Amino acid sequence: MEIQEFIGRSHLDTPTLNAWVEAEWLVPVVSRKRSFFSEADLARARLIQDLKMDFGVNDEGVAIILHLLDQLYGLRCLVRDIHAMEAPDRTSDSG
Amino acid sequence: MAADPYTTLGVKKDATQDDIQKAYRRLAKRLHPDLNPGNKTAEDKFKEVTAAYDLLGDPDKRARFDSGEIDAQGSERPRQQQYYRDFADQGGWSAYTNSSGFSDFGEFAGSEDILSEIFGRQGRAGRRRRGQDVRYHLDLSFLDAINGGKQSIILPDGATLEVNIPPGTRDGQVLRLKGKGRPGVGDGPPGDALIEISVLPHPYFTRKGDDIYLDLPISLKQAVLGAKVKVPTPSGVVTAAVPKWSNTGRVLRLKGRGAPRPDGSKGDEYVKLMLMLPQKPDPALEAFVAQWQPVADIPRQSMGV
Repeated sequence: MEIQEFIGRSHLDTPTLNAWVEAEWLVPVVSRKRSFFSEADLARARLIQDLKMDFGVNDEGVAIILHLLDQLYGLRCLVRDIHAMEAPDRTSDSG
Repeated sequence: MAADPYTTLGVKKDATQDDIQKAYRRLAKRLHPDLNPGNKTAEDKFKEVTAAYDLLGDPDKRARFDSGEIDAQGSERPRQQQYYRDFADQGGWSAYTNSSGFSDFGEFAGSEDILSEIFGRQGRAGRRRRGQDVRYHLDLSFLDAINGGKQSIILPDGATLEVNIPPGTRDGQVLRLKGKGRPGVGDGPPGDALIEISVLPHPYFTRKGDDIYLDLPISLKQAVLGAKVKVPTPSGVVTAAVPKWSNTGRVLRLKGRGAPRPDGSKGDEYVKLMLMLPQKPDPALEAFVAQWQPVADIPRQSMGV
């Protein structure tokens, strides 16, 4: 979605969105100098809003949490890959 | 949400606003789905806790609840959006995924080091196993998707993967590159690369199925007298005849000017005419219209006004 739709659906204002993109909390796809956001970006913005508004996390804290979360999801992805490699093997063992 | 919000948050009826906020934050960090991706029951509980906090966290709402003016129902925050974990936890690598939490184990995910270590420990080393499929995401411009061609993806390890985009590729389509996934274990064959395509929007074309839709501005003179006009299509500019006395909304069909289909045929382009007055006020036109005596013309007749 384009930036206007993203602002409308996330209820962010333009300076805040720009600051988040600047900080690389959100990484839109840039094509021909225009930014496009995905549904995942919208959900991520929502998470940042939860952290800042409901949980009282400050900007430095948000940066650290996002960094750790990105590692957590990376690890989950790796574990799932390993699990998927192992699973077919188990069935052939039992057969 | 029927439960008592005080019970949900685990606070006493006379708790201070500060206590309520603390109780909420303590629960929320354990229950927020994005912070607890492995906990599948967290989401429902988190909703309950958030609803309770929406009620008790606001002193006005809390007072009205205490006096029985409002009940625990209806205080739930509307939350239609999906959680971030629904995307981040789909199994693919995204722009955000970060491997630094395990980069000291070897190279990137799926590297022989970590896998052989894990499987080796279980006495599986040296087995023959097909390599894993790897999923990638590729954003294509509207025209690149329709016209096809070669695109390259930069892989996390810096290598480049050439992808042949078939003409007419659709948003959401998954292309499979055989043998371009992770290497097999032992002498097993490599896996495939699965590339999920997102097609970015175009400033003036839209696509429905294999057909292309376009709003085409035409001048007043072209609309009244008819004209040959140039029309953009995904495969280049063509000339189309605008019939005399064409109104806004009239649709011209350009056969075979849409998206290519796998069987070699093509969809059509539908051109909707949009009558545009001159960009700058034109005194001559104003003078003409002022003295023009049209026959009775009520364009809103069908609306009864």
